[in-house]
Amino acid sequence: MVDQNKMRDKAREVLEGDDVRRLIGWKRGTYGFEAAPSVLKDASEVDRLIWDPTCVGNLAGFLTLEEKRPVPRGSEPDTRKVAVMVKGCDSRAVVQQLVEKAYDRDKVVVLGIPCTGVIDRRKAEAMFGEQSEPVEVSEKGDKLVVNIGGESKEVDKKDILADKCLRCRFPNPVVSDFMLGEEVPVAGTDEFADVAEFEKMTPEEKWKFWEEQYSKCIRCYSCRNVCPMCYCVECVATKLRPQWTRRSTDISENTAYHIQRAWHLSGRCIECGECQRVCPVDIPIMTLNRRMTRDVKEMFDYEPGLDVEAEPLLSCFNPQDPEDYIM
Amino acid sequence: MGDYKFAKDKLPEVLSGLEGYKVFAPTVAGDVVRFGEIDDPSKVTLDFVNSKVPPKELMFPETETLFKYKMGDTAIEPAVPDATAKRVVFGIRPCDAMAYTLVDRLFNWDFNDPYFNNRRESTTLVGYACEKPGANCFCPSLGGAPAGEQGLDAIFYDLGDNYYLKTLTDKGEEFAKAAGGALEAAGDADKKAAEVQADAALKAIKRSVDTEGIPENLPSLYDDAFWEQFSDRCLGCGICTFLCPTCHCFDIQDEIERYDGRRARMWDSCMFSEYTLHTSGHNPRPTRKERTRNRVTHKYSYFPSKFEVIACVGCGRCTGNCPENIDLIDILEKSKEAAGKEAKSA
Repeated sequence: MVDQNKMRDKAREVLEGDDVRRLIGWKRGTYGFEAAPSVLKDASEVDRLIWDPTCVGNLAGFLTLEEKRPVPRGSEPDTRKVAVMVKGCDSRAVVQQLVEKAYDRDKVVVLGIPCTGVIDRRKAEAMFGEQSEPVEVSEKGDKLVVNIGGESKEVDKKDILADKCLRCRFPNPVVSDFMLGEEVPVAGTDEFADVAEFEKMTPEEKWKFWEEQYSKCIRCYSCRNVCPMCYCVECVATKLRPQWTRRSTDISENTAYHIQRAWHLSGRCIECGECQRVCPVDIPIMTLNRRMTRDVKEMFDYEPGLDVEAEPLLSCFNPQDPEDYIM
Repeated sequence: MGDYKFAKDKLPEVLSGLEGYKVFAPTVAGDVVRFGEIDDPSKVTLDFVNSKVPPKELMFPETETLFKYKMGDTAIEPAVPDATAKRVVFGIRPCDAMAYTLVDRLFNWDFNDPYFNNRRESTTLVGYACEKPGANCFCPSLGGAPAGEQGLDAIFYDLGDNYYLKTLTDKGEEFAKAAGGALEAAGDADKKAAEVQADAALKAIKRSVDTEGIPENLPSLYDDAFWEQFSDRCLGCGICTFLCPTCHCFDIQDEIERYDGRRARMWDSCMFSEYTLHTSGHNPRPTRKERTRNRVTHKYSYFPSKFEVIACVGCGRCTGNCPENIDLIDILEKSKEAAGKEAKSA
């Protein structure tokens, strides 16, 4: 369990140090079932921080999302550290970003949160409907207590937690400078049952499925922008010269975009599921990513985002690498 | 104009009987409600609050060809839609119809856009009154209502076993005539029930913002750190703008395959970094802060200063679909407080 007061005390201590310029955490949302990411710049703001099962977003993405502002002549850029709160799954993104040298380890302060699962907004809304007021959710054993307008309802975790939480193998952050609570037991296992289930479809059925899904895509790029591993300064999907993918939305370009993204994430996706969470048209993006993850694990015995000292899979070579992969 | 009703199970009959019209209506495609041309009326769904993608795409498609050409030839083949090909949009929500009336001003400001205008002209809008507004709906704050009639040619209400249809314009009446035999005359009880429903729906709207003073005050926050509390958690994606019924920005690109070329326009978003990127590499809106500021200030200040109306209908899509809880109503409320502080310090 994470003691909210101790969490805020630690956040205050971190922000009061003169080497940290901002801290990324969660605060209560303005409506509904999800907390909002919040960037704190001063220790006086820590009271707004929360941690509960509504804190679904992976904040590691904000470490690479922040733009480098043009620095006025004669002044120096602010190179102080950024502190970030991470759940177990989110922490794998920090590790993978470090593996890829997205930033230096000493430029980030990681506040680790042992996590027992976060809710899936779509499941919650299917149960309780959309809510205009922020909903508070707390934990009670195998259940979550959902407080809507002063009325509490208990829900089995298995019915309301995000799918990734139900098979979570890394509830405790794999990298952290400070842990904000006691470690929690690991209960989940992942045999890629969902991938195996999907693979029962014939190629024709799969194509029909993806054709329907990708036809919906509006190319808002929320899946790319939320992804903690999508931090290229210039993305191949929106590059204009040369232009690899057209800007027009149609089944051909949409499919090209999604397949391209899946390939660029192979050996890098840490399965936080943010792409699928944010998709406004409910494309099951993780289905393809999970297939790549399984292949990478089976063929190369590699799991990204677990070891800061690891080499990126696609940047290293081993004479024993399977070759049946190459056509 | 006329008052009609028809039994709910007659809906496919009404839609398939519309001779001479292309019919557009909400359908479920892969779990998402979206408007499209209907070939099979049984696929129409009326079980939704707001369609995920607004029906602005029926006038201003995500991607549309402006003209075609052959490489090496100076002739162009325009692809302007036919203004006389009759279309009906059945089941459009009042806010989305009102949005067309706002965007009309933009597409007829310094240039009369024939692509948008021809579709508008050829289309009859049959609205669907909201019985249960969504969690983030706030249309009354922008002069709309769950059963608002702005921009509509007709409106229908779900009255349990029947739909009550009220025509509002000649186009609407023409639609009712085309629907013909499936319709019967509505009585006073139906009219009354529709009024009761409209009142109840209006009262069911939970969120609101008083827009008084906002268009005048927003520019004073131009350089204010105010925007960072929202933009710091912005992903810079296109959800809020693409799903907005009044956002109308587009990009124009040439697409060429061997000798066949087309010039096409497609939705663009001021939240994208490429949107204002100059050829030189300079970007006048270098971060999400300037982009967030622009999105809100454009809708609530620049647009009204030019066209005398706020470019928002209160459908709540930007708020409800933002994955990081950037809440338009919250921004507007907080802007009042921040503008007050700004005025004091000035």
